[in-house]
Amino acid sequence: MATNTAGPSRPFRTPASLLNTPPPPSTSGDSESTNQLPTEKPLNLQILSDLAKSALVESLNEVMPIHQSSAIADEKIQGAKTLILDPGLAGPLGLVTDVALLKHQAVDKIFWLEPGPLNVSTRNVVWLCRPKMSHMKTIAEQIKAQQSTVSPNGPLVYTLLLVPRATELCKKVLEDEGVAGDLTIGEYKLEFIPVEEDLISLELDNVAKDIFLNGDDTPLYYSSSALMNFQRAFGMFPRIMGKGDAAKRLTNLLQRHCQSGEEHYSDLELSTEVDGLIIIDRSVDWVTPMCTQLTYEGMLDEFIGIRNAHIEVDPVLIDPQNTSNTTTGQPPQKKRKHHLNGQKDKLLGEIRDLNFAVVGTRLSKVARRLEGDYGGAKNLKSVSQMKAFVGRLGGLQGEQQSLKLHTGLTEILMPITRTEDFNKSLEAQQNLVAGYDLPSQLNTIDDLMAQQAPWAIVLRSLVLMSIASGGIKPKILESVKRDFLQVYGYHHLPLLISLEKLGLLVKSPSSAPQPFPTLRKSLRLVVDDVDDTKPNDISYVYSGYAPISVRLVQCAVQKNAVLSTGMGVDGDEGKREIQKAHPLVGWRGFEDVLGSIPGATVDIRQRLEGSRHEISREKETITTVVFFLGGCTYTEISALRWMAKQVKGRKFVIATTGMINGTTLLESFGDPEPVPLVSHQR
Amino acid sequence: MSWDVRDLSDYLVTVGKNGGPIAMMRDERKVMLLGKHTPGRPKIYIYTSSGLPITTITWDLPPPVLLHITPFHLLVLADDGTYRLYPLSFPSCFSQHTLGTEVSELGIVSAKAHDDGFVVLTGGLEFLEVRGWNAGRVGALAPSELRDPPGAWGLVDPERSGSGHVEVLVGSGGTVISLDALERIDQRLSRGPFTHIVPSPNGRFYALTTSTNTLWVVSSDFSRSLSEVDISDFAAGAGVPDQAEWCGDNAVVLRWGGRVVVVGPNGDSLKYDNTSAFILGESDGLRMITSTTCEFIQKVPDASLAVFSPGSSHPAAILFDALDHFDKKSPKADESIRSIRPELSTAVDTCIEAAGREWDVHWQRRLLRAAQFGRAFMDFYNPSDFINMGQTLKVLNAVRYFEIGIPITYEQYTSISPSALITHLLSRNLHLLALRISQHLSIRPAPVLRHWAEAKISRARPDPIGPGSDDEELCSAIVAKFKREGERSVSYADVARVAWEAGRIRLATMLLDHEPRAAEQVPLLLQMKEDKIALNKAVDSGDTDLVYHVLLHLRASLSPGDFFHMLDDSISPNLTPAVNLLQVYAREGDRQLLRDFYYQDDRRTESACLALEEAGASADGEERIDKLRVAAKAFGEEKERAFEAKMADDAHRLLALQTAYERELDHKFSFAGLSVNDFISALLLAGFGKRAERVRADWKVGDKRWWWLKLKSYAKNKDWDGLEAFAKSKKSPIGYEPFVTHLLSLSPPQPTQAASFVNRCDPKSRADLYVQCGDWTRAAEACQARGDRAKLEELRRRAPSGIAQREMDDVLRKMTK
Repeated sequence: MATNTAGPSRPFRTPASLLNTPPPPSTSGDSESTNQLPTEKPLNLQILSDLAKSALVESLNEVMPIHQSSAIADEKIQGAKTLILDPGLAGPLGLVTDVALLKHQAVDKIFWLEPGPLNVSTRNVVWLCRPKMSHMKTIAEQIKAQQSTVSPNGPLVYTLLLVPRATELCKKVLEDEGVAGDLTIGEYKLEFIPVEEDLISLELDNVAKDIFLNGDDTPLYYSSSALMNFQRAFGMFPRIMGKGDAAKRLTNLLQRHCQSGEEHYSDLELSTEVDGLIIIDRSVDWVTPMCTQLTYEGMLDEFIGIRNAHIEVDPVLIDPQNTSNTTTGQPPQKKRKHHLNGQKDKLLGEIRDLNFAVVGTRLSKVARRLEGDYGGAKNLKSVSQMKAFVGRLGGLQGEQQSLKLHTGLTEILMPITRTEDFNKSLEAQQNLVAGYDLPSQLNTIDDLMAQQAPWAIVLRSLVLMSIASGGIKPKILESVKRDFLQVYGYHHLPLLISLEKLGLLVKSPSSAPQPFPTLRKSLRLVVDDVDDTKPNDISYVYSGYAPISVRLVQCAVQKNAVLSTGMGVDGDEGKREIQKAHPLVGWRGFEDVLGSIPGATVDIRQRLEGSRHEISREKETITTVVFFLGGCTYTEISALRWMAKQVKGRKFVIATTGMINGTTLLESFGDPEPVPLVSHQR
Repeated sequence: MSWDVRDLSDYLVTVGKNGGPIAMMRDERKVMLLGKHTPGRPKIYIYTSSGLPITTITWDLPPPVLLHITPFHLLVLADDGTYRLYPLSFPSCFSQHTLGTEVSELGIVSAKAHDDGFVVLTGGLEFLEVRGWNAGRVGALAPSELRDPPGAWGLVDPERSGSGHVEVLVGSGGTVISLDALERIDQRLSRGPFTHIVPSPNGRFYALTTSTNTLWVVSSDFSRSLSEVDISDFAAGAGVPDQAEWCGDNAVVLRWGGRVVVVGPNGDSLKYDNTSAFILGESDGLRMITSTTCEFIQKVPDASLAVFSPGSSHPAAILFDALDHFDKKSPKADESIRSIRPELSTAVDTCIEAAGREWDVHWQRRLLRAAQFGRAFMDFYNPSDFINMGQTLKVLNAVRYFEIGIPITYEQYTSISPSALITHLLSRNLHLLALRISQHLSIRPAPVLRHWAEAKISRARPDPIGPGSDDEELCSAIVAKFKREGERSVSYADVARVAWEAGRIRLATMLLDHEPRAAEQVPLLLQMKEDKIALNKAVDSGDTDLVYHVLLHLRASLSPGDFFHMLDDSISPNLTPAVNLLQVYAREGDRQLLRDFYYQDDRRTESACLALEEAGASADGEERIDKLRVAAKAFGEEKERAFEAKMADDAHRLLALQTAYERELDHKFSFAGLSVNDFISALLLAGFGKRAERVRADWKVGDKRWWWLKLKSYAKNKDWDGLEAFAKSKKSPIGYEPFVTHLLSLSPPQPTQAASFVNRCDPKSRADLYVQCGDWTRAAEACQARGDRAKLEELRRRAPSGIAQREMDDVLRKMTK
């Protein structure tokens, strides 16, 4: 088992041609000849983005009151308006719109929604927020405060837009506060947001907590509605497969929607572009998020943090003017948000899914090529050559800019991979997953605690230990928990109880079935001979561990890959025949494996009465939608992208309720940090 | 006419627009021959336009001043301001409204209605407007300032008025006053007094008759006089006309008793003489009802004129003629077609249009055939107009059939839309025809089915023998019908609501069961007080918002005990989602409810967690200590939670100790809220070793952790002697490598101090550790000590040039010796 994987030490053979081809994974391996392959157009997810944008414009201009009374048909918001925005929505909204669009809709000023009086200069006030009770109280306070003062522009017109829907609870709070009659409530149906060409996300927070811990299926309902609208855009999924009880509930909801006779769902036709939906319920696979992600983007998320596809970085790294005149003496500049997008940033598209071990090599290669390209300026012989060079200059500058960013980020990550915390915890994780020498892993965890490594690292390892070994002996568990609370604070006690409730940190022998030890074999989760530089299996994303979730997807769409490593071991990638994807035929062959995992197994066909539907599989590229209910990690996305390259004829669209990693997941299961105590003496 | 009404003049008559029914009632104010009418309470008779009786209503209120037929209702307004709306389909379920006590005292002089409301003139000579039908809003118009009852007044409905609001034109003395809700404008005329004021269908002209028997047509702003006709000759000696109406926008029709005179724009006129008559202006013509006929008078449509006017040379006329020749097998047919070749499409279109204006099926057919004939000679022709007209005529002919009796014109039909016609049919309970027409025109039959089901329920009286015996029957009949017509969008909930309102609760529940949309189902169930079913349905729907809807409703309507009892998911496990949602809501919105719920349900762990959360949210130390104690107690009451109880207790003790130390140390330090580890390290850093030892003992902190804490605090305080002494005090349980690495990881790093611990580490790693400390000499020595030549050579390669390399070489040489 490879334990130390980080560090750009391994050689990597990169087909140079890839650098100039667009980032969608349209080719595989060493193919100079992109044209030979059929152009595999991905599903045009842009539609969803356009829908979200136009819905926003519509919501801002015209509020349809929820209570459709005959007296008022619809009310227009006329004139300039002040927009008050839920900070939690800023990220998701930023992915579908920008300030310019808002200004275009006569938005005069934008404020954050936070307690305190309003300061508006327009007649219209529009709140845009998630349907949270605390927000409603703030809004009620603001309206009441505003009404007690006399405004120079006459009475203000209040509008509240709830995203994605207006809920009974919100209405009740507003009624209780006595302001329900003063404002018009509308909805802004922000559902799937296209984050990348192959990734759509609801960008909801804490979904796993809501569904699996609190038993609040609200996000499940939102998901069903978003998937219904996805089907309105792209046609009905001919097949729905899934694993997990929540996946089953979601499937039932989808079917219910279809049968409800709701007008806009009644005339759906089976899709010709999409062959199915695979729902992976997060509760089926807690192991994957607990492991430390080892892809480039995964590492960025783990150690720097990616929120709504944005990363906070030192402005020096993203400012094209500010070239390396490193500020000495100046105060440290405020970090700036940078949008990580594989379409705009081609270099990111290339390296995001690589194991971090090879990123350094790849970056230096690009650096050398760029240098060569710039050096080419000296050898220009004719005007036409010069013209061609100048034409390329813009592209080169862009590339240089992104090279600078990613080199900078890699420089931040590299020292982390050398720390003891990182290497010890990684070693422990990998051994735990492999089921190797558990007592000594416990010792490692103990050491990490003694050194006060970050709490999430320790707890992630503990959870892994509990899952991988089917629970921890009661005495040991109690003593570890006791130490954990002493080191990191007693406020983590509810978190430990939540983890027990979720079956993530339990004592052995546990009453619940513990499938992991058998899955390790039946799903070939631990792969020893994976090559990080030239992957032959999805397990490269964790340097030797294949995510259960993605293995389950393979059980549905690439059955061979579950059983054995890909054939590219001999390195003759150029000659290797890329196989055609097999059709989606259900869980056939893996029924027993699926059965051994707790939770319902879903496999249904959606067929309209009477119509036989066959997708002609000969020439077309079919898309399969993989929906992660409860969030997914960047490594899972990387693994799916890698899978798409292994066969032709099938693309994936990855849909998720939001992006997660082990730390954010654990944080969501606990109570908020305790507020600082106020001393009575001072 | 199928009725036996002999003299319309005995009655108050009203007629529905667009071929609507006729309602009449004996005019009480007229003296009658005894025996001519049946005595007793006055009755309102409703007939179709063909004179077939639809229904009879007994009127038991004061004498009516206004009868009016809307597309759905018959409005009857009594002179005391009470009015009733009789739904035409079920007159027995009328609704009654009043205009208020003031009106009932003053009484109503007269009233006029339009499509969406009516206006009355009260005994106080003020105008009141009622907007909307069902309990419509009553509003006063601007003060009229009338002193005498007006000779005539006219109503301009919102669709026709320039302002979009109701306007009233009042003939007052010689002038006309226009009134709306806000202002009163005197038009300053002197032609009056007026006896009739009637706006034209398009609202652009007014027709006024004066007491001197002149008909004056004027533009709606009274600025342009269009025509002025002396009408005294039309009905000599009959005086003022009884009725004045517009026939389309082109002509005014006046009626004296049974004599009806159409007056054209240039004063030309047409006379019709009957024994008695009633006239009604339609949008495109005029209906004249007599005791024997119902006639429609209109300006001959252009298309008909083009085809049929004698000597017409319009291509359509030639085409029509060509068909005649063709039928007679005359070669002239071909000749005619040739002559109009370039205008053939106009000819075809005109024929189709003319067909729509015909009432007689023979001529409709003939014209359509002409169109078809002409079409055959055209290369490109879009047949949709032709097909649509065929379809439309089929519908029109069906409803015009005398048993249905809706004489609607093509223009009226297109302007009111097919669905309005279907509504009209429904108001007559002609469900089958409505359904067939819906299907014929591919309109969703949902409204028809719904109306049918509602009618079926209202008609069926509850079975006197045993309740419920016919509920099943009725329900299955309705369900079967809905299924057969293949209409999924019909809302069972709507039908169920009707059943519920009719008191058929069982039937309502049964129908609701077929409703697939929980969002429709649940609110009605709550209204029906079927709380439990509503809750179950909401949970089943998976729509959490719907569950909240029910929960909030139940919370408001039930006592806490009943509420909790209903949510007891140990009895009904399928309610677990609702219970979960309740907790989520209550956690933020109603904490006391949550506490009560956990308490009565013996959920100690949850109670404890709640207390822990509250402890964390409290910024007050004392309060936090209390909450932690509460949590420890609650955990303690659960057998399985001994560990958690201990931990909560520890937390509480820790915070208490921290505040105690703060107090002891005069609040110079802040410990409260720190973890055990951080507390110890804070104490060590501040130099309170004793206290730190005590905390260590109390919390049984393990050796490893203790050593790390000590190491870190010495390093942070740069107390190198202390660190050295500590290192020597005992064999380190964490080894000495951490001493080296930790000192190196400080900022700034402490290589000299770190190096002093290297020789206490494992010999194997010493060389590397020395290198990390930057001490190449000792690294080389370490290799030498172990005789590790390979390592040494590796170091030699890595070593920076200069002294370090030379020293390496020295050692290497020594080793080779």
